[in-house]
Amino acid sequence: MRLLAAVLVVLIAVVASQQTLDEKVQNLVDLTARQSIVKFNLDKWKNLVRMQPRNYSMIVMFTALSPGVNCPICKPAYEEFMIVANSHRYTSAESERRKLFFGIVDYEDAPQIFQQMNLNTAPILYHFGPKLSGKKKPEQMDFQRQGFDADAIGRFVADQSEVHVRVIRPPNYTAPVVIALFVSLLLGMLYMKRNSLDFLLNRTMWGFVCLAITFIFMSGQMWNHIRGPPFMINNPQTKEPSFIHGSTQFQLIAETYIVAVLYALVAVGFICVNEAADQTKEKKAAAGKKTNSLLALINVPANTLAIVGLVLICVFFSFLLSVFRSKYRGYPYSFLFA
Amino acid sequence: MTSTTASSRSSRVGATTLLTIVVLALAWFVGFASRLFAIVRFESIIHEFDPWFNYRATHHMVQHGFYKFLNWFDERAWYPLGRIVGGTVYPGLMVTSGLIHWILDSLNFHVHIREVCVFLAPTFSGLTAIATYLLTKELWSPGAGLFAACFIAITPGYTSRSVAGSYDNEGIAIFALQFTYYLWVKSLKTGSIMWASLCALSYFYMVSAWGGYVFIINLIPLHALALIIMGRYSSRLFVSYTSFYCLATILSMQVPFVGFQPVRTSEHMPAFGVFGLLQIVALMHYARNRITRQQFMTLFVGGLTILGGLAVVVYFALVWGGYVAPFSGRFYSLWDTGYAKIHIPIIASVSEHQPTTWVSFFFDLHITAAVFPVGLWYCIKKVNDERVFIILYAVSAVYFAGVMVRLMLTLTPAVCVLAGIGFSYTFEKYLKDDETRDRASSTGSNKDEKLYDKAAKNVKSRSLQSSADGEDTTVSSNVRTIIAIILVIFLLMFVVHATYVTSNAYSHPSVVLQSSTSNGDRIIMDDFREAYHWLRENTADDARIMSWWDYGYQIAGMANRTTLVDNNTWNNSHIALVGKAMSSNESAAYEIMTELDVDYILVIFGGVIGYSGDDINKFLWMVRIAQGEHPKDIREENYFTASGEYSTGAGASETMLNCLMYKMSYYRFGETRVGYNQAGGFDRTRGYVIGKKDITLEYIEEAYTTENWLVRIYKRKELPNKPTVKETTIPIKGKKVSQGKNKKGVIRPAATATKA
Repeated sequence: MRLLAAVLVVLIAVVASQQTLDEKVQNLVDLTARQSIVKFNLDKWKNLVRMQPRNYSMIVMFTALSPGVNCPICKPAYEEFMIVANSHRYTSAESERRKLFFGIVDYEDAPQIFQQMNLNTAPILYHFGPKLSGKKKPEQMDFQRQGFDADAIGRFVADQSEVHVRVIRPPNYTAPVVIALFVSLLLGMLYMKRNSLDFLLNRTMWGFVCLAITFIFMSGQMWNHIRGPPFMINNPQTKEPSFIHGSTQFQLIAETYIVAVLYALVAVGFICVNEAADQTKEKKAAAGKKTNSLLALINVPANTLAIVGLVLICVFFSFLLSVFRSKYRGYPYSFLFA
Repeated sequence: MTSTTASSRSSRVGATTLLTIVVLALAWFVGFASRLFAIVRFESIIHEFDPWFNYRATHHMVQHGFYKFLNWFDERAWYPLGRIVGGTVYPGLMVTSGLIHWILDSLNFHVHIREVCVFLAPTFSGLTAIATYLLTKELWSPGAGLFAACFIAITPGYTSRSVAGSYDNEGIAIFALQFTYYLWVKSLKTGSIMWASLCALSYFYMVSAWGGYVFIINLIPLHALALIIMGRYSSRLFVSYTSFYCLATILSMQVPFVGFQPVRTSEHMPAFGVFGLLQIVALMHYARNRITRQQFMTLFVGGLTILGGLAVVVYFALVWGGYVAPFSGRFYSLWDTGYAKIHIPIIASVSEHQPTTWVSFFFDLHITAAVFPVGLWYCIKKVNDERVFIILYAVSAVYFAGVMVRLMLTLTPAVCVLAGIGFSYTFEKYLKDDETRDRASSTGSNKDEKLYDKAAKNVKSRSLQSSADGEDTTVSSNVRTIIAIILVIFLLMFVVHATYVTSNAYSHPSVVLQSSTSNGDRIIMDDFREAYHWLRENTADDARIMSWWDYGYQIAGMANRTTLVDNNTWNNSHIALVGKAMSSNESAAYEIMTELDVDYILVIFGGVIGYSGDDINKFLWMVRIAQGEHPKDIREENYFTASGEYSTGAGASETMLNCLMYKMSYYRFGETRVGYNQAGGFDRTRGYVIGKKDITLEYIEEAYTTENWLVRIYKRKELPNKPTVKETTIPIKGKKVSQGKNKKGVIRPAATATKA
């Protein structure tokens, strides 16, 4: 009789757990019906994630989104995570949606879970597989190496749970909108000034635009754009800020600005020298008539202008050379300065 | 009096011509001579990687004739796939050197084709200088042309690709580029069909020589478009562009490698679009004088919008229907800078495709980088039809050079032209004026009353200026002299810089390594050729050699053996397979190698001498490329240490320590000792002791290691035959048995060791 009772109890327990598994899945499906991720508190956490039986995977992000916590990358990581979760919700098949759920634990809502998991950093992405039970450590995604963009998370999910989430990024409208606004602004300005479109024929303006482009690219701004170096580096020992990186393979944003300015100043010096010589002719040709040249407006004596130009060239080119020397070790030539 | 002036003028012209020729000849000579550092220091050999293939192809062509070359199927590359060489190379380079060789031969001046190949690029640098002179002369003045010619002859940005022995497409392509531009400008100026046809011919040469021709076929239409937008349309533009476009398209399709691309790829479509636009604009110009203004506006607005819309729709329909290929990945990577990194790792892995730091701009251009904006400024200030071209060229090239180091090469000619213009503009002002002033004053005093006033003013101003009391209209002669001298000093600095850079940075053959001892002696390490020679002498003629793709061309060229992958990276999955073999453990690698019929494996290892360009440093790319194709078997994170670093030292992961590359690089390396107080197995390149010293090889054996351990060659062992075949599952069984055997062999000595 006792044996029977025991068997009965076991049976009931099994049935009950079976029910709870179905219930759990149903519960999760309900939770994710309206929003694509589950926000965990301690109860739900214990129930749905840490307790067996489970036949589903949980991808849980531990993060701190409240503005009081200083976590600059939590927000972008959360957004990428949301993209994956949304893609899963809208594009995955029904059966797959029952196998994989996305959840989030915010430090503010449930600091106990953080303590339980022994976490003191955020954001962290864990995968709790269907077999994972007890206090075992779940699989963690390495943000350092893989990054946290939606594609990387999708790959991690596919690796771990064998559910392939087709990541669909909601199209980013900001860039086209900004461009459209800019273009319409430009067109509007052109329309406003339609009676005097002379400035389009203004060569000085075009000259400035072209020169700006050359200085921007020659100073390696494209490299900055692609590699994203820091603005400057503080020496760890002396705490002295250094603007110039001592290697030819790397550059800091600050030094590229310096270089762009140096190039520009040398070019200005050259133009000054030439303008000085041109002044004579212009005066001769158009005695008293207004000239188009900018420098003529200032009306500097030609001699002074030429000397100023020469000094600009010499000083700033030798400065450029010494910046180059500080990066390219062993370069033997310099001018004016070491 | 008139006759004397005429004769003096003709003698002046004669002297100018003589001077021009002398300057150009000197520029040629200097350009040639400064590119010979590598020849003088080492010997007359072909450099680097791609040149070895070009040399091999040229050699093949000279031996077997041009048509055999076009139909050449190279079974020694990309084993077992092979490569259709004739249809996948730009043959211009081979044909050029073959032609030179043939001419020399028929003049009974016999030289080996290798010498022709080695000296081709320096020779062409002189032709480039002349083409640059012609181009700049058309754009600005002969004086500026001479400056530009001298700049391009020695500028490091161009020397980097054209030193003796660097037998590559770029060496002749820059000449073709500049010459095409010259002919284009010339045909635009004259509006003659002859110049346009010559331009198309020169373009044909460029197409046959280098893939960079796409730059020309987009830049010239851009120029035409800009001229139309600026309202500078003329019948000269119409004649030159239409005849150029038609001829150039037909001619470029004659190159087998290009084929139907000019009509079937998006890269060539802008040229076609501009061609269509030009017809419309020409029609408008024709119609304007013949119909009323009202009608014209209707025609113009209605016709243009309908046609424009139609063109766009047709283009997309053709792309969608597959008749016109969309833009290629390489093209996208120029605009969307993150594109290559995500989608085409094999492009991103090449160091030439990295973005350019400002240091390399300055390194390659020096003073010309600072002066060329000045030339650009004056070209814009004094713009005319042809100067629009150089403006567009400079601005687009500076963008492309910023995106890719490799495209510095296309920027350099523009910089030289514009810097030449900048310098000559200044020097014209500061050197010439003395003489003209004398003449002006002398003629001024002889002129009639009307001009007297003005001339007197000039004379007065000059006399005042020469008396140096601060007159503000001219630059005093002292200042002129100082400025001229200082500018010459800058030019000298450029020469010195160019020589220094050419000598120190761009004259390394990379086939032969050079280092110096503490007391300054030069040590030459010839390991590569030693290894290739060993392969040539000691392996079967049809032996298959597996190595990373960087060394494919050299193995084929120097060892004359079959390779699996080479620098023509056309088949990513094949490369990934080799990468997978290198990054899996020995038994998995053995399976791949058996499938691929590999006989020998070659790795480059720099740990003994501290050579940083070795395979261990490239290894992550192998893993990445392998992972791209075989994500189930290879995972990049397995090759990192626990802290996420890439290391072969103490903390290296198990996968790393067991992969084929690690084992082959460090086999028996633990027994070496660099210094007395240093531990064995100290890797000098990476600066630490390696993680695992007792490496045993089961499936391969060491065949050869060169003097400085730079190249290590291993032989794939033939496993012993299975004695009896019992079941149908032979491969699995066989593998297990052999593993077991080998394991026994390993365990036994260990057991004896413990006994002892």
